[in-house]
Amino acid sequence: MNHRILIVDDEMPARERLRSLLSEIEGADVVGEAANGEEALRQAAERAPDVVLLDVRMPGMDGLEAARHMNVLEEPPAVIFTTAYDEYAVNAFEAQAVGYLLKPIRKEKLAAALAQASRLTRPQIQKLSAASPPRRTHIAAKHRDGLRLIPIEEVRYFLAEQKYTTVRHLKGEDLIEDSLRALEEELGSAFVRVHRNALVSVRYLERIERNADGQYYVRLQGCADPLQVSRRMAGELRERFRI
Amino acid sequence: MSAPDTDKAFYLPDFCTSRAALGIVVIVELTALILTLARDAPAMGFWTDLSRTSLFLLWIGLAGAGLLCWTRERLKRLPVGLGSATVLTLIALLILVVSTCAYLLGRSSLVNDAGMAVLFPPQASPFLLRNLVIGLVVTALALRYFYVTHEWRRNIEMQATARVHALQARIRPHFLFNSMNTIASLTRTQPALAEQAVQDLADLFRANLSDKRNTLTLAEECEVARIYQRIEQLRLGPRLHIEWRIDSLPRTALVPGLLLQPLLENAIYHGIEPQPEGGTVTVTGELAAGLITIVVRNPVGERQNEREGNRLALANIRERLTLMYGEQALVKAGRFDSEYIVTLRFPFIESSSGAAA
Repeated sequence: MNHRILIVDDEMPARERLRSLLSEIEGADVVGEAANGEEALRQAAERAPDVVLLDVRMPGMDGLEAARHMNVLEEPPAVIFTTAYDEYAVNAFEAQAVGYLLKPIRKEKLAAALAQASRLTRPQIQKLSAASPPRRTHIAAKHRDGLRLIPIEEVRYFLAEQKYTTVRHLKGEDLIEDSLRALEEELGSAFVRVHRNALVSVRYLERIERNADGQYYVRLQGCADPLQVSRRMAGELRERFRI
Repeated sequence: MSAPDTDKAFYLPDFCTSRAALGIVVIVELTALILTLARDAPAMGFWTDLSRTSLFLLWIGLAGAGLLCWTRERLKRLPVGLGSATVLTLIALLILVVSTCAYLLGRSSLVNDAGMAVLFPPQASPFLLRNLVIGLVVTALALRYFYVTHEWRRNIEMQATARVHALQARIRPHFLFNSMNTIASLTRTQPALAEQAVQDLADLFRANLSDKRNTLTLAEECEVARIYQRIEQLRLGPRLHIEWRIDSLPRTALVPGLLLQPLLENAIYHGIEPQPEGGTVTVTGELAAGLITIVVRNPVGERQNEREGNRLALANIRERLTLMYGEQALVKAGRFDSEYIVTLRFPFIESSSGAAA
C-alpha cells in the first residue's frame, strides 16, 4: 500500500529536499505541503494523509502543537518529526519512542521511518507537549469537515459534560475530548475554575450575581447565560478580580 | 623584532619609552622626599637637602632605566626569578658605581662646602652600604609592583580571550544543521547555489575560528555579516529582508571581530524566524563627532521574552568593546513597542593597515 504523505516545514529548501527524497522511495506519494502548523492541520483534514513529516520548530504553531491537534482527527495520521537541532524535543521523542529524523535527513532513514510509521497515542502526545515550552495557542475541535482551530484568546469557558467538554468561544460552541483538569493545568492563570464543571477565561469575567435561592452565578462578556459558581469561589472571585 | 608573545609575557615595562622615564622620575622624587623627611637634622636646610638627594637618585634612576632598556632583550629570555635577581644585581652595581663617584666628588677639594663634611664622612663604607640597602629595597618594591600589575593585566586579557572563544564556540547548532540541510537540498536542485553556500559557510566559520586577529576593519566585519545573511537568505527566502543603511560609516574603522554577525543572528533567530510572514531587520550606521553608532532593529512578537542566548551575546559584545575602547564604548539593548533595538557606540579609530587589511 502506498503512503500518502504530507510535508510540513517552514523552510522551502527543506520541503524541496524531502519531496525529492520521497520521489526516490517506492510507495511514497506526496499529497501536500505546508509551511506552518495551521496550514498543516488544514491540509491534514482535507487530504487525509496517513503520514505527516512534521518540522518541530516553526513560526506560529510549532510541530509539537500541530501533532497534538492532528490527534483529534477521525483518523489521525502517523507523525514523523523532523528537526535540525532541538535537544529537548529529541529527548522527548526518544523517551516516548516516537519517530523522528534529524536534518539533513538520509534517504535510508526516511524510508525506514516510513516503513515503521505509527500513530501517536494520546499519552505519547501529552508527554511530548511537555517538551514544547509555550502552551497551546489553539484548541482543536473535530468538525463535520475536519478540524476547527479555536484561538485560546477567543475561548469564554470550558464546561465539563458527561463524556465531552464543551468549549464556548467567540464563534459558537464545540465539543472536545480534553478533561477540565488537564485544561486547567495547561492554561494556568488565564483561566479560573469557578465550579466543579466550569473553567472560565479570566479576561471575559464581568460580574457575580446571586439569585433568590442563594445560588451564585458569574456573567461573562458576550455570553447571554450566566454560569453557576460555587459558594467558595464566589468570594474568591470577588476578591481577586474585584467584580 | 622579537616575538610579541615573549614581550607580553615579560613583566617589566619597556624603559626605553619616555613614559617609563617619567615614571622613574616620579619614583625617584618620592624616594628623595621620604629620605629627606626622614633625616633627623637637615645638613643644609630642607630644600637644599632635597635637591641634592634628588640629583643623586636621579643619576641612579635614569642610569638604571637606561641599563634595563639596554639589557631588556636579554632579560626577557630569563625565567622570572632569575631575571629579577639579575635586575637587582645590575641596580646594586650601578648604585655602588654612582655612590663611589659621588663620594669621591664630595670629598675632593673641588667642592669645598661645610655641609659636605656631614654628608660624606671620612669612611666610605657606611655611606655605600646605606645607599646600597635603600636602593635594593626600593628596587625590589618597584619590581614587585610591576610584576603584580602585569599579572593583573594579563589575567584580564586572558579572561577576555576566553570569552571571545566561548562566543565563537557558540554558533548556534540550530543554524549549522539547518544550513547543512539547505545545502543538501540545493545540491540536487541548484548545484551552483549549493557551491556558493558551502563557500560562504566556510568563510563564516573561518571568521569565527580565527583568533590571530581579534580586531578587523568595519568593511571586513560587514562582509562577514553579509556572508551570514546570504546563507540565511537561502533558507528563509522572502521571509528575511535586511536593510543596510551603513554607507556613511568609515570602512577603515577598527572594530573587534564578531561584532555585527552575532547581532544579526539574534535578530533573525528571535525576530524573523518566529514570524510566519518574516520581517525586516534594519542595520543603520552613522559617524558623528568621532563616534560610530550602529543600530540593529528587528520586529518582535507579542509573546516573546528575552532569551538567554541573546543576553549572552550582548554581554560579550559589551565586554569586548569596553576592553578595546574603555569608557567611551556603549551598548544598549531593549524592546520598544514592537521592535527590539540594539545600539552600539564607540570611537572611530582608523585601522593602521587601512582598507587593504
